[in-house]
Amino acid sequence: MQPDTAIEPQPAPAARALTCPSCGGSVALRAAGYTVHVACQYCSSILDVTDPQVKLVTAYNQHLAELEIPLGTRGVLRGVEWEAIGYLQRSEDGDYGWEEYLLFNPYHGYRWLVKVRGGWSMGEALTVTPDWLSYDQLVVNGENYTHFFADGEARVDYVLGEFYWRVAVGERVKTADWVRSGVMLSREENASEVSWTRNAWLAPAEMRKAFAIRPEAIWPPLPHQPSPWGAWLRTGAKIGALAFAFLLVFALFFGGTSWTAAGSFPVAADGREQSVTLGPIVLPHRYQSVHLRADVPQLENGWVDLDYSLVERKTQQVYEAYGAAERYSGTDFDGPWSEGSRKAEVSIASVPVGTYDLVVEYKANRWSGASGYAETAGWMDPAAAPVVQVEVRRGAVYGSNLLIALLLLAAPLGLALIWHLAFETARKSESDFAPSGEDDDE
Amino acid sequence: MSLHLPCPNCGADVVFRSPALPNRVCDYCRSMLVRSDAGVAKVGEVAALPFDVSPVQIGMRGRADDNGFEVIGRVRWAWTDGAWNEWLLLFDDGANAWLGEAMGQFMLLREQPIGKVRTRALREIANGKDARPGTEFQLDQEKMVVADAREVVCVAAEGELPFTARSGWRLYSVDLRGRHGQCATLQRDDQEVTFYKGRYVTLAELAPRGLRAIEGWTLPSYAA
Repeated sequence: MQPDTAIEPQPAPAARALTCPSCGGSVALRAAGYTVHVACQYCSSILDVTDPQVKLVTAYNQHLAELEIPLGTRGVLRGVEWEAIGYLQRSEDGDYGWEEYLLFNPYHGYRWLVKVRGGWSMGEALTVTPDWLSYDQLVVNGENYTHFFADGEARVDYVLGEFYWRVAVGERVKTADWVRSGVMLSREENASEVSWTRNAWLAPAEMRKAFAIRPEAIWPPLPHQPSPWGAWLRTGAKIGALAFAFLLVFALFFGGTSWTAAGSFPVAADGREQSVTLGPIVLPHRYQSVHLRADVPQLENGWVDLDYSLVERKTQQVYEAYGAAERYSGTDFDGPWSEGSRKAEVSIASVPVGTYDLVVEYKANRWSGASGYAETAGWMDPAAAPVVQVEVRRGAVYGSNLLIALLLLAAPLGLALIWHLAFETARKSESDFAPSGEDDDE
Repeated sequence: MSLHLPCPNCGADVVFRSPALPNRVCDYCRSMLVRSDAGVAKVGEVAALPFDVSPVQIGMRGRADDNGFEVIGRVRWAWTDGAWNEWLLLFDDGANAWLGEAMGQFMLLREQPIGKVRTRALREIANGKDARPGTEFQLDQEKMVVADAREVVCVAAEGELPFTARSGWRLYSVDLRGRHGQCATLQRDDQEVTFYKGRYVTLAELAPRGLRAIEGWTLPSYAA
C-alpha cells in the first residue's frame, strides 16, 4: 500500500450559519448537531433547527434584552473555555426573577451560568441521583446538602440564543433546592423528567476574570454563598492563637533579665535573727516586677524565714515580701521520705524605677521533732558552713500587658465572628425551612 | 483479520474489521454495504450526515474497562425534539460497545441478550407494551427509572456497523436511568428487540486520542 500522502485534515468548522425565516437575519449556530431551538438574535423569534429546513416556531419582534454577557462571548472558568450560546430569564410567576446563560464547549458539553440577585453560580447537570440521608438532608458524590427551598415553580419569561431542547416562553418546571457552603443542588421536575443540577458558587473575582462582570452587592446572601468571614475567621483564629502563644512564651522567657546572684551569706549555728544588705539593684523601667529566689543548699530538717525589703536609696520607699525555705526528710516503715524544698521564690509586683538596696532579714531553724537529734546542730552545724544564696530577676512584661495584647488580637476576630453570624442568619432566613441555630458548615 | 474489499458501487477499498460487524457505509459513495459468504452487496444508500460539532470522530482511540478501543462507526438518530450520535467502539479484544452522545453527555453501552433480562415490566415493553416515563423497576439489583420513551428515526450512518442502518429506519426506544450513573436502552421494531446496558462516562475518563479538531477551540488538556 502507498503511504498516505493526504494533507492534514482541516479542523471542522465551529459554527453553521442559517437565515431567520422571520426577519432574514443571519443566525450563527454554535452547537450544531446538539441545538434544537434557536431564538434569533435580531428579532427573538424561535426557530426549530432539527430539520435542515429551518422552521419558525414562534414569530416575535420584541425588544432585545441587553445582555451582560453577549451571546458568542467566551470566557475561561475553572480552567475551561466556555462560550455563552443561550440566555433565559426565569421567575417564580413574575417574582424573584433570575437569569441563566447556557455555556458550551464541544469537548466539555454544557454548563449553566446562573445569576440570582447579583450572585453567580456555575451549574452542571448530574448523571447520578442524590440519596436521602434524613428528612432534610441529601447526599450525592459524598457531599451532604440541607433542604433550603421547597415547592418552587420556575417559569421561562424570555429566551435568546440556542438550546438543546425545545425551549418555550411560559414553560414551567417544579423546583426545590438543597445547599451546602458554596454549592446549591437544584431539582427540576416536569411531566416527563426529573433533573438535578449542581450549582457551584462563583466568587465575584472569578466572574470578573472570566467575563469582565462588575461585582454587585448581594444582601441578604444567597443560600449557598459562603460567608466571606468564615475562612477569614478560621485563619484569623489560628494566627491569633499562635501570636498569643508566642507572646506568652516571649513574656515568660525573654520578658525580663535572667537570674543574677545577689549575694551569699552564712547561717549562724545558734539560730538567731540575722540581717544582710545587698545591692545596689537598679530598676530601669517605670514599673517592673522583681523576683527573688533563695537557695539553702545544706537545708535538712529545718527551715529558714526570709523577710525581704527593697529600699529605694533616695526616697527610702520600701517594698516588702516574705519567703520561707523548708525541707524535712526521714525514714519510716514505708522507706525514706522527704518534703519541702530548699529553694523559695517570691515576687514583688509593680516596683517603680530607681536604685534599691535589698535588705534580707533571715532566721534559720532546726526541727526539734526529728527523732532525738534536736540537741545536735543538725544542718546548722558550722562545720558544714551553711549559707543562704539569694538571686534576683527583673520582669518586664505584665499580665496586664498580655491581657491588652489578647484583647487587641481578639477584637478583629470578635468583630468578624459577629459579621459571620449576621451573614449566616441573613442567609438562613431566606430558607423555607425553620432556621436552626447551629452552624451547618461541613 | 481485516478484510479489504472493493466497493461494489464505486470500487473504492472498503475495510471490514470484525465478522461481528458485517455492515458498513462506503466512505466515498455512501453506499450501505453488507458482507456475506457470497461477497459484498450494496443494500442501499445512506444520507449525508448533517453538520455537527461532535468532538468524537471515526478513528478516535481511547480506553474503557481496561481495554483499548477505536471508534469505527456511527449512527445518527433523531426524534421529534432533537438528535444524537451513537458511536461504535471496537475494542482490542474484539468486543464492541456504543458510545452514546446526547446533550453534551456520554454513555458507554454494551448489548445484552434481552432473553437474560428477568424484569417483567421490561419484558412487557420488549413484547410491545408502551413504557411510561417515571416508571421504576428493579434491573439486576439496581433500581432503574424510565427516563423517556419515544419513536426515533435513523438519520444517517458512517463506518462499520453491526446492523444495516438505513436512513428513515424507525424504532421505539426506551431509556432507563439508575441512581448512580447506570443507564440502559431498549429498542424495538417489528422484527427485533435489542437491549443495551452501561453507564455515564466522561470524555476525559476515556483518555481519548485523535479527538476531532474544531476550529477556534483548544483541545482539552487530557487529549493532548
